[in-house]
Amino acid sequence: MSTQMLIFVGYFMIVFAIGWYSLRATRNETDYWIAGGQLGWFTGGATMAATHTSAGTFVGTIGVMYTAGWSFGWVLLSIPLAYWFMVAVLAPRFTRQKELTIPAFIETRYYGKGIRGLAAAIILIATVVYIQAQIVAGGLIANTVFGIPTTWGMIGFTVILLAYTVVGGMVAVVYTDAFQLVVMGLGALFAVPLTLRHVDGLGGLLTLVESAHPLVFTWETMPATLLLTMGLSFFLGGVATPEKLIRLYAMKDMRTIRRGVLFAIVMILGINLLVFVLALSSIVLFPSLATGDLAMPMIATAVLPATLGAIMLAAITAAMMSTVDSLLMVAGSALSVDIYQNLIDPDITPGRRMWIDRAGIVVVGTVPVLLLLSGVGEGDLVQFIVLLFTALMASAFVLPVVGGVVWRRATREGAASAMIGGTSATFLWEIFGTPTIEPVLCGFIVSAALYVGVSLLTPPPPSSALAPYFD
Amino acid sequence: MNGPGVIFWGLFVVCGLIVLGYGFWMVRTERREEK
Repeated sequence: MSTQMLIFVGYFMIVFAIGWYSLRATRNETDYWIAGGQLGWFTGGATMAATHTSAGTFVGTIGVMYTAGWSFGWVLLSIPLAYWFMVAVLAPRFTRQKELTIPAFIETRYYGKGIRGLAAAIILIATVVYIQAQIVAGGLIANTVFGIPTTWGMIGFTVILLAYTVVGGMVAVVYTDAFQLVVMGLGALFAVPLTLRHVDGLGGLLTLVESAHPLVFTWETMPATLLLTMGLSFFLGGVATPEKLIRLYAMKDMRTIRRGVLFAIVMILGINLLVFVLALSSIVLFPSLATGDLAMPMIATAVLPATLGAIMLAAITAAMMSTVDSLLMVAGSALSVDIYQNLIDPDITPGRRMWIDRAGIVVVGTVPVLLLLSGVGEGDLVQFIVLLFTALMASAFVLPVVGGVVWRRATREGAASAMIGGTSATFLWEIFGTPTIEPVLCGFIVSAALYVGVSLLTPPPPSSALAPYFD
Repeated sequence: MNGPGVIFWGLFVVCGLIVLGYGFWMVRTERREEK
C-alpha cells in the first residue's frame, strides 16, 4: 500500500471511530440534531469553521486568485464581519428558544406550518444539488488517490459520509469536523513553507509574482461591482445560512457562542490567508495552467513531497466532507422533521421518530448519487448551482431570520413573500442579469422590499409568536 | 516596504485588527453582563 493510501485509510479510520463513539452519545432527537445544545466553545467554533471551509476554499479560492490576483483576497474580510454581526445582533434573541431545525424557528416566529414547509423545501432543493457537486469532487479525488473509476469514488465518498452522519447525527458531525479542521490546518501549515522554498521565500515570492502577473497587486483584474457584490454574498451567506444558524442552537449559551465564533474567525482567516499565499506561489510555479482550479492539485502533486502531498489531498477531502456532512444534516432534518413529521405524519410515535430522522439523511445522501449515476446534474449545471447556493440561501433566509428577531412588525405573509421573491429574483438574475454583479444583490433587494412591504400591508403578528424573542 | 508588500501585508494587518476588535467587543460585552 502506498504512503498516500495509508494516510487516507488512517484518516477514514479516525472518522469512523468518532462516528461510532458518537452513537453512544446520542440518546434523543435533541442530541441527534443539535448535539444536545451543549457544545463548548472549542467544538462549537471548530465545527463552525470546518463547515465554512469547503473544497471551495482549497480549490475554488486558489483558482480565482490565480486568475484575478490579490484584490479578491479583500473579499475575505466580509466573513469575520458577518460572524460578528451574527453574534452581536442575531444570536442573543435567536437562541432564547432553541429549536431542532431552522424551519422550526420559522414556524414559531411566523405562526404557520405551511411557511415551515416552504422554508424546508427551499433548503432541501438547494442543498441536495449542492451536495451533488461535492460528491462529484469527492469522486475525482478518489480517482487521483486510489486510481478507482470516478463513479465508484462518488459512491464510496457518499457511503463514508452517510456511515458516520446517519449513525451519530450532529454529535458525530461536530467531532469529525473538529478532527477535519486539524487536518485542514496541518495541510495548509505544512504546504506553505515547503512551497515558499521553491520561490525564494516570501520576499522572493512578491517580486516573482509581480513579474509573472504584473496586475496581481492592482484593482484592475476584477470589476469593483463584482468585488463588492461578492463581498455582500459572503457577508449575507455568513449571517444566515441554515448550516451555520443551527450551530448557534448547538452551543451552550451566549458566552460560549461569543468565544466559539472568535475561535472560528481565527481559524477561517488563518486557513484562508495560508491558502492565499499558496495561490500566489502557484502563479509563479505554474504560470500557464488551463484553469486556476488545477493550482492546488498541482501544488499537492508536483511541489510537495509524497507524504505531505497526501496530507494536502486529505485536507481538501476533509474540507469537503466537513461541509457536506453539515449539509446532509440540514437537508435530512428538512425532509424528516420539517416535511414528514410536521406535514405528513404529525402523530408519529417518539420511537419511530429517530428512525425517520436517520432515513431522511439516507435519502438526501442517496438521491444526489442516483441522479448523477443516471446522468442528471453532470458538468456545468452542477457548477452553476454551486455558485448560486449561497446567494439563494442568503436571499431566502437573511431577512426572515434576522428581521424575525429584530422587527416585531414582520409577518408570516411578509416572510413567505421574501423567501419566494428573493430566491426567484436571484435565479432570474443568474440567467438574465449582467455577470459583473453577483445575483445576491438583486435577490436581497427584492427580498427586503417584499419583506417590509408585505409585512406592513398585512395584520400584525400575534403576541404568542413574538413572546419567545421579544419579551 | 514597496507597493506589493504594503498591499500584501495590508490584508493580514486588517484581518488582525478585526480579530482584535472582536476580542475587545467580547470582553466589554461580558463585563457589562456581569454588572
